[in-house]
Amino acid sequence: MRYEIRQRPNFSIALVTFESPGEQLVVEAAAMVAKDSALAMKTNMRGGLLGAAKRKMLGGESLFQNTFTASKAGETIWVAPVAEGDMLAFDMDGTQPIYMSSGNYIASGPDVTLDSSFQGGKGFFSGTSFFMLEAKGNGPLFIGSYGGIHPVNVGPEGYVVDNYHIVAFTGGLQYTVKRVGGMKSLFGGGEGLVCHFSGQGTVWVATRGSAALARFIHPFRPVESNK
Amino acid sequence: MQCELLYQPVSTMARIRLDAGEQFLVEPGAMIGMSTNMDMKTGLAGNSQSTGILGKLASAAGRMLTGESFFQNTYMPQGGSGELLLAHTLPGDMVMMEVGDHGLKLQSTAFVASSTGVNIQAEFGGARSFFSGEGLFLISATAQRPGEQLLVGAFGGIQEVQCDGSMVIDTGHLVAWDANLTFNVKKAAGGWIASYLSGEGLVCQFNGQGRIWMQTRNPQAYGTLVGSMLPPRTN
Repeated sequence: MRYEIRQRPNFSIALVTFESPGEQLVVEAAAMVAKDSALAMKTNMRGGLLGAAKRKMLGGESLFQNTFTASKAGETIWVAPVAEGDMLAFDMDGTQPIYMSSGNYIASGPDVTLDSSFQGGKGFFSGTSFFMLEAKGNGPLFIGSYGGIHPVNVGPEGYVVDNYHIVAFTGGLQYTVKRVGGMKSLFGGGEGLVCHFSGQGTVWVATRGSAALARFIHPFRPVESNK
Repeated sequence: MQCELLYQPVSTMARIRLDAGEQFLVEPGAMIGMSTNMDMKTGLAGNSQSTGILGKLASAAGRMLTGESFFQNTYMPQGGSGELLLAHTLPGDMVMMEVGDHGLKLQSTAFVASSTGVNIQAEFGGARSFFSGEGLFLISATAQRPGEQLLVGAFGGIQEVQCDGSMVIDTGHLVAWDANLTFNVKKAAGGWIASYLSGEGLVCQFNGQGRIWMQTRNPQAYGTLVGSMLPPRTN
């Protein structure tokens, strides 16, 4: 299987080409844009009913995912995220997992497993990132985000990222959720909660948030009149 | 201070590198990432020249009138240089501009960050200068010395134009301009009805010599377009 990401960064789309018969790609519901008609599609709940339900409830992904199977080499499929933004592609080699914020999963090879990893107390205040989706195993993994995606290499000195802007991070990192600057900042400073990453690895940061656009448009909605 | 603008023009992010001892003033909510050695202090926004708590409060209250925050965050790296990642809220570009001798005027939501030598104040734009829903106030940025920088964000692309004598710009497309330009907000056409029918509403007439930055999309018009298609809100 080989792939390339086109139309970066705001309207990214991945073109995946299968290289042998029987190769498979698992795709989040509605993420398929186009495919060769010979490519067989099967809809299923990965990880069984319980695993799928947990993923949907905790990770924000769909209950069902589609598995596409190549009948011969050279068949292609196009996959893309819903909102305008960039994509990341990983070649997972089994050595370390990738964690992503809920709703960012697009597609993966059949030997990549997904699990909603409970963040427990340390994620309690973090709002959006209460649950992270964990991907591990072997094969390709595609992730999408709203806006641009900025990679940060985290070294021994660590790095701080606003909770709402975390796209994904590598398994070698640990994080703790903190407030910036204490209570005064929580109410006055607007910065709220951040993740302090430590360890060795990469964290990817989204340069925009779809929630900010929604908040901007909300006041322009007509107001319901009371009769 | 070094600034690198990445992911232009739709998802622009500013990567700011501060040397030891340098500070940067940031609009709350604009910081999306930073090195761990960054110390953040939240303070009342406004003119750093204002003395006493009353002066600072008045200055901060003025900023609130512009739609900007009452508070502002000052970042300073501890023990060496540090990094800040800054972004604006809406899809669009950002520009780093030098404040210059004359100072700059900004549309109220354009401010993202500045070097600490920049004084930011709310300024009443005159009875007619309601910037198509943006509020009655402008931001006035001045600097004591050359080299002071201001980071500005916009909706859409940012187009710099040179006003050479006189120029008319739609108020919804204005981002910033050199403060030595005189300006007058007026109806686009002769009467209110003709002005309304033209769809242009209010425009800003500039006179003099100086730089003007326009945003290539009008946020109010975009909000109206999309908002009107949504179901009514109850809150």
